[in-house]
Amino acid sequence: MSYFRITLHRSAIGLPKRTRGVLAALGLHRRAQVVFHPVSAQFAGMIMKVKELVRIEEVERPMTKRELHESRRPEPGFWVETPRASSFGMRRVLATGQQQQQQGEGQQEGVRL
Amino acid sequence: MFGPFRITNVLNGGLLWKIPWRLSPTQKARQRKRLRAVDQVVETLSNALAKKGETLKSLERWKAEMPTEAQMLPRDKYTMFDRKAKRYRKGIHKLPKWTRVSQRINPPGY
Repeated sequence: MSYFRITLHRSAIGLPKRTRGVLAALGLHRRAQVVFHPVSAQFAGMIMKVKELVRIEEVERPMTKRELHESRRPEPGFWVETPRASSFGMRRVLATGQQQQQQGEGQQEGVRL
Repeated sequence: MFGPFRITNVLNGGLLWKIPWRLSPTQKARQRKRLRAVDQVVETLSNALAKKGETLKSLERWKAEMPTEAQMLPRDKYTMFDRKAKRYRKGIHKLPKWTRVSQRINPPGY
């Protein structure tokens, strides 16, 4: 069972009532909204009516609202890496250890950030 | 001479809007892009229905009658028939809502 993933790409402002009615029947109310409908002649005919306004893809299964939201989430711009004994981290440990040794305290645990 | 209330032919009253008589190269590029987008929608619909073995009259009719963007002549992409215009052609941007309606074929011979 495959589905049409229909995205309203262009607004229907100022277009005939029938065109807007087709969009409403597809469940499209605002631009960039995504709806899923099963592949059938009925829905294909509705898409044909508004083919200038939508972008479609054929997908295997519809996405849930949450999945759609997650797919739109931008990259955070930072990544939290788990601390591990990389060369960089070891150098920092050694450096802080040396500083502490210079200060006269030989403790090396608890200095990893 | 400058500013929002300057005297220009457009603001001086009368019905004078300076709409260029032809499309700019970027408008033409976007027009081609829109034509291809519609072709893409039709192709996706056609492939999806063919997989299910269903047919759709409006789709068959579109595929039989309408040329794709690659098959269209430039004069059909950017101009359209107008019986009142000199040489029976006007820019497609004179068509109301021209970026959101399909206008691909013209009377044969024009």
